[in-house]
Amino acid sequence: MSLAVAAEGVTRRFGRRWALRGVDLTVPRGAVVALLGANGTGKTTLLRLISTLLKPTAGRLEVLGHTLPAGGDEIRTGAAFMTAGGHAYEELTGVENLRFAARMSGTDATDDDLRDALAAFDLRGAADLPVRGWSTGMRKRLELARLRLRPLELVLLDEPFVSLDEDGVGLVHDAVRGWRDAGAAVVIASHRVEDASRHADDVVRLVGGRVDDVTA
Amino acid sequence: MSDLPRRAAAILWKDILSETRTRQGFTAMLSFAALVLFMFSFAIGVDNDLLGRLAGGLLWVAIVFTGTLSLGRTFQNEELAGGTRLLRLYPGDVRAIYLGKLAGNLVVLAALEVVLFPAAAILYQVDFTAQAGPLLLVAVLGTFGFSVIGTFFSALTVHLRARELLLPLLLFPALVPVVLGSVGATEAFLAGDPLGRAGGWLRLLASYDVILFVVCLWIFPVVLEE
Repeated sequence: MSLAVAAEGVTRRFGRRWALRGVDLTVPRGAVVALLGANGTGKTTLLRLISTLLKPTAGRLEVLGHTLPAGGDEIRTGAAFMTAGGHAYEELTGVENLRFAARMSGTDATDDDLRDALAAFDLRGAADLPVRGWSTGMRKRLELARLRLRPLELVLLDEPFVSLDEDGVGLVHDAVRGWRDAGAAVVIASHRVEDASRHADDVVRLVGGRVDDVTA
Repeated sequence: MSDLPRRAAAILWKDILSETRTRQGFTAMLSFAALVLFMFSFAIGVDNDLLGRLAGGLLWVAIVFTGTLSLGRTFQNEELAGGTRLLRLYPGDVRAIYLGKLAGNLVVLAALEVVLFPAAAILYQVDFTAQAGPLLLVAVLGTFGFSVIGTFFSALTVHLRARELLLPLLLFPALVPVVLGSVGATEAFLAGDPLGRAGGWLRLLASYDVILFVVCLWIFPVVLEE
């Protein structure tokens, strides 16, 4: 099975602080991998490296067949990263936020496509309201809707269950299943062991910036 | 539409839409610009000849000071939305971000100047209409140069703690040729260009604009890296 992500000895340092030390990780296409670990163990840093937001200080990182730092644009075309904090413009409505994301991604999404993506996460009623008045959970759903706008080979989710109610958590599980069934690899970084592990083919535990344990 | 202009247009559309919804930034800029023009007028007094001779300089100082307020906000709305660097997650050339933000600053400054030029004409009793074409060219070149450097330094300082202080500190020295060229050309045209100096100022402005645009566009991807 071909790999969506292959990391060998990946290291990342911020000034004097080592965020990741010699991390080895493989994520096959069509697989779900859960990244678990306490705060500051390097989960988000690893996702940022895979997403091309950061460059490794040392080591080899291959994503969607491209060895970084080469192929960044091709990787960003096939991969999407949902950050823990989200990415939404307060003055724009839900539809307008998705329209901006679609235009930036080069996706030809119609107004119906955008509204369908919002409806998939129970946001149809808020579609034309500015995000300024939305709850944190609704913003998280908007982030998930953004990921539905284009076909993806690799989905990176940073704390996707935080701020969501039970229905929202269920929608995340449905989305993860959908991506996996479509052949995409999904990497979930989360504190919520049970939710993150539910669909996981591999569970990777990070401790102090190193891979402590991999459970299949 | 090809990738770069399409993505730049998306950023421009998003920023203009946000600005028209709040109008906070533009209203504050207009109030500040009016205040600056009034203060110069009060400081110089009722000497209409002196006001007329200084009008070009006073006008451009007002544009630069007020424009700096706008530049400071260029990337701050991205930070509020989650972070400027997240725009790098979209596929395509990151220079689209610079071009979109530059276009946004140009639109805001152009809107500001539409109000400032008539206001300065009334306050300083100068006739801009006699040399409207040449003065429009000066305004375009001056505004473009200001926005090119300003957008770049705004991106460079957005993640710094003392960005409000550092932006003008970095910006103003780099702006010297733009301000000199704009003021020199404006004053020369307002005086009817008896010494034929306006052409030299315009060439300086145009050359500096082109060089800065190429350099800023070329370096910009590095500015967004972590």
